[in-house]
Formats: sequence, C-alpha cells, structure tokens
Amino acid sequence: MNYFLNLVTSGLVIGSLYGLVAMGFAIVYRATGMVNFAQGEVMMLIAYTAYSMASIPGLGFAPLLLGVVAVSVLIGVLIERLFIRPMLGEPMFSRVMVTIGLAVVIRSTVILIWGVEPTAFPRPFGSTPIRLGPLALYPGQIFALGSLALLCLAMWLFFRKSRIGIAMRATSNNETTALLMGIDVKRISAIAWALSAVFAAFAGLSFCLMFSLEPEISQMGLRGFPATILGGLDSVVGGAFGGLVIGVAENLAGGYLGRGLKEIAGFVLIVVVLMVKPYGLFGQREIERV
Amino acid sequence: MRSRTYRTSYAQLVALTDHGSTWAWAAAGVVLLALMPALVGSFGLNILVTIFVLAIGVLGLNLLSGVAGQISLGHAGFLLIGAYAQAILTTDYKLPTLLAVFISGLIAAAASLVVGVPSLRLKGLYLAITTLAFTFIVRHVVLFAEGLTRGSNGMPVEALTVFGLSFKGDQRFYYAALAMLLLFIVITLNLMRTRIGRAWLAVRDHDIAARAMGIDLMRYKLLAFMVSAFYTGVAGAMVALQTRFINVDTFSVLVSIEALAMVIVGGMGRVHGAILGTALIVLLPEALTVAFAVAGDGVKTLLADRIYEVKGLLYGVVILLFLRLEPEGLAGIWRKSKRFWMQWPLSQ
Repeated sequence: MNYFLNLVTSGLVIGSLYGLVAMGFAIVYRATGMVNFAQGEVMMLIAYTAYSMASIPGLGFAPLLLGVVAVSVLIGVLIERLFIRPMLGEPMFSRVMVTIGLAVVIRSTVILIWGVEPTAFPRPFGSTPIRLGPLALYPGQIFALGSLALLCLAMWLFFRKSRIGIAMRATSNNETTALLMGIDVKRISAIAWALSAVFAAFAGLSFCLMFSLEPEISQMGLRGFPATILGGLDSVVGGAFGGLVIGVAENLAGGYLGRGLKEIAGFVLIVVVLMVKPYGLFGQREIERV
Repeated sequence: MRSRTYRTSYAQLVALTDHGSTWAWAAAGVVLLALMPALVGSFGLNILVTIFVLAIGVLGLNLLSGVAGQISLGHAGFLLIGAYAQAILTTDYKLPTLLAVFISGLIAAAASLVVGVPSLRLKGLYLAITTLAFTFIVRHVVLFAEGLTRGSNGMPVEALTVFGLSFKGDQRFYYAALAMLLLFIVITLNLMRTRIGRAWLAVRDHDIAARAMGIDLMRYKLLAFMVSAFYTGVAGAMVALQTRFINVDTFSVLVSIEALAMVIVGGMGRVHGAILGTALIVLLPEALTVAFAVAGDGVKTLLADRIYEVKGLLYGVVILLFLRLEPEGLAGIWRKSKRFWMQWPLSQ
C-alpha cells in the first residue's frame, strides 16, 4: 500500500511537470491554432537563463522568480514577433515547421553557450524532505505541485473574469468576429505566447529544483505531448489534468509492469485514447464545412 | 524557347515529361553519376551513398507529407524497423540480402498500419503527435525485445550480396545504392501519374471534398502510409547495409525532423525536390567543415567539440530561412531559374 501511495505521489509530481508543459501548449493552441514544438526548448532556454541569474550574489528566491517571469514574457513576445507573426496566413504545415526549426536552433544555441554537462541548480528551500504521513516530499516537488495548482486557478480566473481572457476565448472561437468586435487579435496572440513562456518558466524551474540543470530538460517538451493530447489540445485546464493522469499512469506502469514501460506508457495511452476520442478527453470537436 | 505545352489528350496530361530532351538530360545525369567513383575518393563516395540511401526514405516521406498531406514525425521509427529487419532477417534467418531489403520494406509497411489506422480519424497536429509517439514506442520495443534485437548492444549487418556477387566495399555499394535510388525514382514518378497519385493530391488539398468526389479516404490514406513506410523501410535496410552495424541511437527523433527538413528544403511534393533537399542537408555540415577549416584553428576546435550542436543549429536556420524566403524550396528555385534562362531576353 505504501509502495502504491509513493508511486502515485511521485507520479503526481512528475505529472504536474507534464501539466505545466501541456498548459503551455494548450494556451498557444487556443489562441493561434498551432502547436509550439519548441515549448521544451523555450523551457530549457529559460531554465539556463534562470541559472545564470541565480548566480548573482545576494539575490533571493522571490526576486529571482520575478526576474525569470519577466524574462520569459520577453522571450515569448520576441518569439511571436520574430518567427510566428511573419508566418501568418501560411499553411499550417509551414507554421508548425517553423517551431520545429526554432526548437533545433534554441537547443543548439543553449548547448553552445552553457555546455552539455549537468549542473546543480541552487536549492533555495534546502533539500530536506518534508514528511506528510507515510509520504516524504522534497521542497522542489512541492514547488512543482504548488505552481501547477496556482497557475490552474489563475488560468481559470483569467479565462472567466479578466477582459483579456474573455477576448482570448472570443478569438479562439472566431477570429474574424473577434476582430470585428474590436479585439486586437495580434495582441492576443502575443499575450498567448508570453503566457505560454511563463508556463515554460515554471516547468523549467520545477525541473531544475527537482533534478538538475541539464540539456535533457528540452525532452520534457516531447514528453509533455501525451498530457496535452489526453486533455485535448485546446483545453488549458484539461492539459493540467491530463498531465497528472499521465504522470500517475507512467509511474504505475513503471512500478508494476517493468521499468522500461515508464518511458512509453504515456504514448501508448494516448494512441489508445485517440482511437476512441480523436480530440482528447476535453477537446472540442471541430466541425468542418466544405 | 520551348513552347509545346498545349495538351490535346489525356495521355499527354499524364506523360512523364513533355519534352523528349528531358530523357537525354536524365541519361546524361545517370552516366555522370556512374562515373563518380572514378572522379571522387572514398570520402566523397561515402557522402554520395548517404545521400542516395536517405533520398529513398525522403522520397517516401515526400509522398506522404508532400503529396498526400499527412504530417509524420514517425519516420525515424520506420527507418529503425527497416534497418533491424534487415539485420535480423540476414543474420538469424539467413535470407538472401537483396530479398531481405524488400521484405524489410514490407515489414515497415505492415508496422505503418499502427499509425495509419489512427490517422483515419486524426488530422494535422494530432496525427503528427501520434506518429511521434510511434517512434518512441518502436525504440522502446527494439531496446527491450533483447532476444530478437540484442537490445542496446546493436547488431552487425552482413554485406549486400546479389546472386553471389558481393557488394562489399565503397565502389561496389555505391552502384547498388545508385541503382536502388533510380528504381525508386522511377516507381515514384510513375506512381504520381496514376489514379493513386492524383487521389493523394486530392486528399491533401481537401480530404472531405475528395471524398465527395468518390475517393475512398480510408483506402488512400492507409495506402499513403504503407507506401511511404515501405520506402523508408527499404532506406533503413540500405542504411544498415551501408554502415554494417546498427544501434537504436542511430535513429533518434531528430532523424524524423531532419527528414522533414529535407522535404521542406527540397520543396513539398516534388520528386527532384526530395533529392535536392537530401543532398543539401547532407552536404551542409561537410561544407561547414571545409569553411571552418579555412577559418582557422580556434573555430576548428569549437567545431570538433560541438559538431553536433553546430549541425543542429544549421538545420534549424536552414529550415527557418527556407520557410520564410522560399516556401517552394529548391524545386521552386530550380523552376524559377529554368524559366529565367528559357525566356532569357524577355524574362523578368
């Protein structure tokens, strides 16, 4: 029983990481209708930048977090301006390929600048596990779970209450009508990319606080896909849920069925889910007219 | 100026080429390639073989993505299946090597049904991600089915032998690769002008409209996946025969992206584009090595340490530049420059 509980908990922790990645995917998909294959690499870039910022002496965790969020907003807006906006009106295939090209460029540049060796990221909360009944959680793991919960709540409020959030929903519903209603669609797209980069920042920080700073962070982008698909590409909160499910499923498969299965359990799960529900669990069916 | 583009019969519409001179040029090209072993050393020959072998797979991906419009990030998986099928069939089952090449293609085609069947319900990005999942699953199966594949140890591969004639050695294998590429080019060109090729184009342009016109979507999408996987499986078998040793790490997800880069750089849906694109992407790092050798020692050590990253950076930049500046790829540049010279004094 204890073994099971531990598997589920660590599954939830890993799942919250997937969830953060998936939410980043979903918000871009919702606003612009495309998948950002560079999400993992953006995460990597922000994590390495955060590492460089953390080496500034006397910087506490709160200012560091603020700084990282600011940098990620900047990165998100820059990517949108330089690479995404000029491709407006091009076929989807080319637009998605731009993000794939961008992914390769960012990954190589980061490795060229910072090197491939894994580095220990500073632990601002120490590394003594906190006991909760039969479970022990590291501060980094609590940070991951906490940021997922907080960002989920924030996103829910953002889409329900804030003007920009409602404008974003309107845009994803029908771009032309939104434009006619006076919504600045281009700004919405920039905001979506910035928000997605903020998700990447939290995912990257969580990863670094739990493991270490290494180029494998970018793999999290690909590994976050099953969560995104399970939740439905266009559902932000669904992505968080999908992440938790995939995390737990991977851990249970790894714990009970064999170690190697952990790596692919999520992918097997989505291939099965997609055969039954082609738009994910929470995704909206697209109705197409000829 | 050539001006024979008025077509008066259906036969002319589906003819391989409008101009007889194209055949002469093609023959000249083949002769030039056949003379290559006398002109370049074994290093250059190896690069050419790599281009030929990869071009077979890229032709297949081009049929699927460029002609039938289905994005696939799973071709590294088919390449892996083809390579391992070749190794296993020849070492464990003692099949003749040439026969094994085609059976490897068929095995990859059968495996493609795993992705092909979901593709009937999935579109665009969902499909891309399912094919990506396929690559991960194939890698996993190969790594953990140790009894069959020797797991992470990799497998040695026997050299190509056709009816007792061994194709060991650079020069001989060069001709084998060239012949195989020519065979697949001819198959592709002919496939594109049949009902199947036209049906794929219709599916790419609008699948629901294509169905309304009487094209069985299920049949043609599955067929596109199977044919594409067959090409890639054969390419995988040829890669195995070229390197003579295979390992899972040779076929990472990056290979799928590289292959897509080749398709895009070449120009989607064009046969000569696929080959030009492959050549450009394969030659790019070599050109870089030469350029940096000229640049001096400091840059050379950087390149030695970080060759993989510099290569990656280059792919990325080339993909981005082509998408932004020349969406039609090298095939488009070819077409435009050809038109420029043909209409020369009057060209704009």
